[in-house]
Amino acid sequence: MTYDVEINGRLRRVGVERAPAGYVVTVDGHRRAVDVIAINGALSLIVQEPEAPSRSYEVAIAEQPPGTGVLTVYVSGRVVTAAVERSRGSWARRGHEGAHGSGPHQVVSPMPGKVVKVLVKPGDTVAARQGVVVVEAMKMENELRSTRAGTVAAVTAIEGQSVEAGAVLVVIA
Amino acid sequence: MPATAAREGSARHENALHKILIANRGEIAVRLIRACRDMGLASVAVYSECDRAARHVRMADEAYPIGANPPGESYLRIDRIIDAARRSGADAVHPGYGFLAENEEFAAACRAAGLTFIGPAPETIGLMGSKTAARQAAVAAGVPVVPGTTEPLGTDVSDDKIADIASEIGYPVMVKAVAGGGGKGLRVVWSRAELSSAIRAARSEAGASFGDSAIYLERRLTRPRHVEVQLLGDVHGTVLPFVERECSIQRRHQKVIEETPSPAVTPELRRQMTAAAAAVAASVGYTNAGTIEFLLDEDGSFYFLEMNTRLQVEHPITELVTGVDLVEWQIRIARGEALTFDPRRLVTPYGHAIECRIYAEDPDSGFLPSPGRISRLRLPAGPGIRHDSGAEAGSDVPIFYDPMISKLIAWGESRQQAIARMRRALVEYEVVGIRTSVPFFRWMLAQSDFEQGRFDTTSLDRLLKARQGEPFLPSGDADDEVAAIAAALYLAMGAAQPASRASRAGGSAAAPPAGQPSRWLQRARFEALRS
Repeated sequence: MTYDVEINGRLRRVGVERAPAGYVVTVDGHRRAVDVIAINGALSLIVQEPEAPSRSYEVAIAEQPPGTGVLTVYVSGRVVTAAVERSRGSWARRGHEGAHGSGPHQVVSPMPGKVVKVLVKPGDTVAARQGVVVVEAMKMENELRSTRAGTVAAVTAIEGQSVEAGAVLVVIA
Repeated sequence: MPATAAREGSARHENALHKILIANRGEIAVRLIRACRDMGLASVAVYSECDRAARHVRMADEAYPIGANPPGESYLRIDRIIDAARRSGADAVHPGYGFLAENEEFAAACRAAGLTFIGPAPETIGLMGSKTAARQAAVAAGVPVVPGTTEPLGTDVSDDKIADIASEIGYPVMVKAVAGGGGKGLRVVWSRAELSSAIRAARSEAGASFGDSAIYLERRLTRPRHVEVQLLGDVHGTVLPFVERECSIQRRHQKVIEETPSPAVTPELRRQMTAAAAAVAASVGYTNAGTIEFLLDEDGSFYFLEMNTRLQVEHPITELVTGVDLVEWQIRIARGEALTFDPRRLVTPYGHAIECRIYAEDPDSGFLPSPGRISRLRLPAGPGIRHDSGAEAGSDVPIFYDPMISKLIAWGESRQQAIARMRRALVEYEVVGIRTSVPFFRWMLAQSDFEQGRFDTTSLDRLLKARQGEPFLPSGDADDEVAAIAAALYLAMGAAQPASRASRAGGSAAAPPAGQPSRWLQRARFEALRS
């Protein structure tokens, strides 16, 4: 079985084969023997490369939303988003959709609150991590940011408006 | 208010206490219940609707609902809390910190209901709760205060008059709420031009948050350290100070890391500061636990800032270097017992302790709150590690309250060892389901300025600004590769027959529908929620 895994904008082709003692996993051509068990809701991996020490990792995975192949992976104290798909033949197929593709990006309110200030208008160019709207909640003002660069396609937030968790406030194309 | 009258007020309740109602939630409620257990006292929890499943409710001996989620409808409802105390037959109330802990009306209501309030007398809370009255008390006790006004400036004082005062003090000035505290409701003003709007904003915020729009002014010291002194006072007139706490690592005036002792305080300075703190507290007849906050200037001068008439969030670090259980002593003082410590013990720290306040926030998104469900929680433990938390795997971090999920404290024989242990504990700390400030702390504990003890109250905000939102703990190629391997295996194992080596439950070997996690993976996840 081969998978295309996209993490931080980089695509890796990962092959997984059953082996007598675990799996043989090939990452972009490099083979590793991997012993894996599921324990306490996480995966314990012991990864062995030829001529290298056996490294032990505990990796927790949360799939959200379930079935989409977008995984939040907790590894070595870091949080990584991985978009995983079964490989389909050649590399080319992945159009630009997925976790880091250039489909429209919605800036939503993570919790109920009140829109205090709208910082952009349709047509504005925004940079990655630029603040686009300020929502007051949990006794503090929170500046919500666009996760990537793009153009503001729509602004549905109105200053003074109360919003629910998940409300779409700004759409970046 | 004469000091003796206040002292007599709490001495009236010199009875043995049997049952304590905890008027709080989260980690502090759990901490207070533990103290009750240690002392063989019954504990009573109160809870809002969303806290029904909270740890403190499940741990307490008794529990009573007190209303809807917003604090104003539950944890701040004096009437409902007193009613719960009455129904439970509690003889004392511990307010924890925040909520009603420094509310004079609540302390008085407890007293009127025949309940022992575990804290100072209501009149003392009222006195020290007015920041200008507290400054006056410090001046009267011969303790230097931050240069500024000692009279509240109500709305009847014109902006021009305030501007005259500000010029005398010298810009930059801080505009602060008289009824405020805890770093809230402050404005920094750099020139006359900014003053009027700052006054307006401060008054409005103060009126909304504290019900009193009076303000006062203080000179803004350029790069002070925030150093505070813990105190215990008994009903017999003894006031004892503890070794200082260093709390300069603050983000927007909120403490994030505290430690004791302060790397910047010499034994002589400690002697002066603890004596000054005790003098102020004694002058107002202070009883029970309290903390006096000072600003320590670069030249070694220190100034009284304010007094907190409650137990503080960071009390564990003092407990670890002195061996004194502060909550136990709050209860003992409330019973009328005398403080019998050798005062030298309390100001001579054994080892060094550091605390990190772990919040449900995403540091990579400007510390945006990250409420939600904690699906998995792996807590650090081992030598020198203490963890005070109300959160558990499977619990929700609600949006209605402060998003602090726990306090992580490390103790070592030296500051170096405490830092090493804190780093180790932060690596062990794993939370899945919400974002936490752990990556920020891992970065912060690695900064050489922190290691050298070189920081002041402006340091963190400046460091964060310089980073411009760069992620605190970015993954490297090696981490990404392991993540890719795990992600691929996750899908492969989900679609395939469960291997005998991987199975825990010995369940059915039938393969689940494609795309669904296998039954044993689901089972493993279910077990994680129970742990």
